Amino acid sequence: MNGISVEILKEWSKLGHRSAFGESIIHLAREREDVVVVNADITTTARLVNFKKEFPDRIFNVGIAEQNLIGFSAGLAKEGLMPFAVTVAAFVPMRCAEQMRMMLGYMNLNGRVVGIESGCRFGPLGNTHFAMDDIAVTRVIPNFTVISPADPHEIYKTVFAVAEHKGPVHIRLTGAPGFPLIYPHEFDFKIGKAIEVRPGKDVAIIATGSVLWEAIGAAEILEKKGLSVRVIDMHTIKPIDVEMLDSVFVENKLIVTVEEHSVIGGLGSAVAEYKAGFEKAPKQIMCSLGDSFKKIGNYEFHMKNAGLIAEDIAEKVAVNLDFLT
Amino acid sequence: MLINQIRDKTELMRRDSIEMGYAAGSQGAHFGPALSCMDMIATLFFGVMNHDPKNPEMPERDRFVFSKGHASLAYYAALMEAGYIPKEMISQFKGNNSILCGHPSMNMKYGIEVSTGALGNGFPIACGMAKAAKIKGEAHIIYCIVGDGECNEGIVWEAALNAAKYKLDNLIVLVDINSFQLSGTTSEVMPIDLDALWKAAGWEVSHIEDGNDVEEVLQVLTEVKKSGSGKPHVILSKTVKGKGISFMENNLKFHATPINEEQYQQAIADLNRAEMERKAS
Repeated sequence: MNGISVEILKEWSKLGHRSAFGESIIHLAREREDVVVVNADITTTARLVNFKKEFPDRIFNVGIAEQNLIGFSAGLAKEGLMPFAVTVAAFVPMRCAEQMRMMLGYMNLNGRVVGIESGCRFGPLGNTHFAMDDIAVTRVIPNFTVISPADPHEIYKTVFAVAEHKGPVHIRLTGAPGFPLIYPHEFDFKIGKAIEVRPGKDVAIIATGSVLWEAIGAAEILEKKGLSVRVIDMHTIKPIDVEMLDSVFVENKLIVTVEEHSVIGGLGSAVAEYKAGFEKAPKQIMCSLGDSFKKIGNYEFHMKNAGLIAEDIAEKVAVNLDFLT
Repeated sequence: MLINQIRDKTELMRRDSIEMGYAAGSQGAHFGPALSCMDMIATLFFGVMNHDPKNPEMPERDRFVFSKGHASLAYYAALMEAGYIPKEMISQFKGNNSILCGHPSMNMKYGIEVSTGALGNGFPIACGMAKAAKIKGEAHIIYCIVGDGECNEGIVWEAALNAAKYKLDNLIVLVDINSFQLSGTTSEVMPIDLDALWKAAGWEVSHIEDGNDVEEVLQVLTEVKKSGSGKPHVILSKTVKGKGISFMENNLKFHATPINEEQYQQAIADLNRAEMERKAS
């Protein structure tokens, strides 16, 4: 894998996750002839136009048909190609969950399913276009790996890492144009291996996706109040990094999970499921989109309402400091 | 002569299916839909497809995707008679830890190309496999058997439109029109003009009047292979549900059910009589 310049990463940060993915996949396709892109009438929206220009014979538009998006991709994967099946996260996996289970999961094929605009970024469009449940749906399918990158650089790293991975992968993309560049320099990325973004002894904030930036902001606020806060980038939700969680259960006194997803079935659930096996493990606070359909509003409106901005996360920690006494 | 060789295999496959289904005991088996497509599968495996049971992953093999996976008895019987699956496994259909799952589970060692049985899902995979062959410049053909009831599924039409768009003329689909589905006749449950729909989807449509006649199946498949239309091909093939077993023919009760000893003996007697009659003629 070739490194990517910070100038390009800053540009992708400005343009958003669609461009970060749409350009990263071009870099991968230059190195691997088996990489093809399948999309459900989203070539322009998903910023795949440049890919189409460079590789017109390696991109396929199946029309507005998400079930066949997976079906067609599964057939390509069965024959040794590496399809990246791309569409809006509101429709994949939910519209094609059974195909993902029976075709990609059951046969353990190398399909890569990419959901753009996950979470509530499509706020003004309404609940039809939110993806608050996608982690829950794919996490429950055996053989599936589920990854939610936090910034443009991690998207790039994810695209290259999944190319070397055996079995189906769901890549969940979040964040608006202008989503911050958290990793401006070279860093080590391995599927299933969480990244300690900053060390800390009291609280461990575990986040996934672009909301990691808010987790870092919350840590900075709490540090000013004298707390030692660890921040962990749990980019891979399945398989979850149990070594990192083992270390958190021993070294930290309060766990905060942060995700732009339903409180049910996502990162918080994955952490809690593993934690259930421990007699002594820290209390866990779950910051999420809860379990409700939302009213109309822009992205900031939804993130604020859900308490997913740095100040709100810090406040939730501040009222749960019993462990200090 | 090839036709007779295929017919010999078809008779053996019907026997294998009855043995497998009977061995499953109270688990029952999808006898009816397996018997309807038996002659088409036999024709593909023993008269049409390029394949090698000694080398199940031979790159240049023709691919077979059995989309109506509930009729797995017919698929397993073909794989047994071809030599992919040992006949000793005949008693293991639906058994614990058996590879002979009620619905086929991908297992290349035994020639099971794709997991199917969730209706509608095998056919789109076959379409993707056909596109992959085009991308890779490979000359093999992808054959797929779809049920007529299965054509109720929306994904079938998503995939059909897409296959026509990409001109997948290396794809040949046989629709097994036995005219029954789980809760009634196909015309009662969901009347569909399959000829019009496949044509509207951009496919080259052919017909087989008697899909249980090996000679006609072979003739139409041979013609379709030479077509050169540039379109994907579908063959609408009329068959008889439960074909070959007197009490199962056109009897929805035997779509999926166990058989008792008396019925088993009757089925064997039917097959013995059919074999004698054929060999006498």
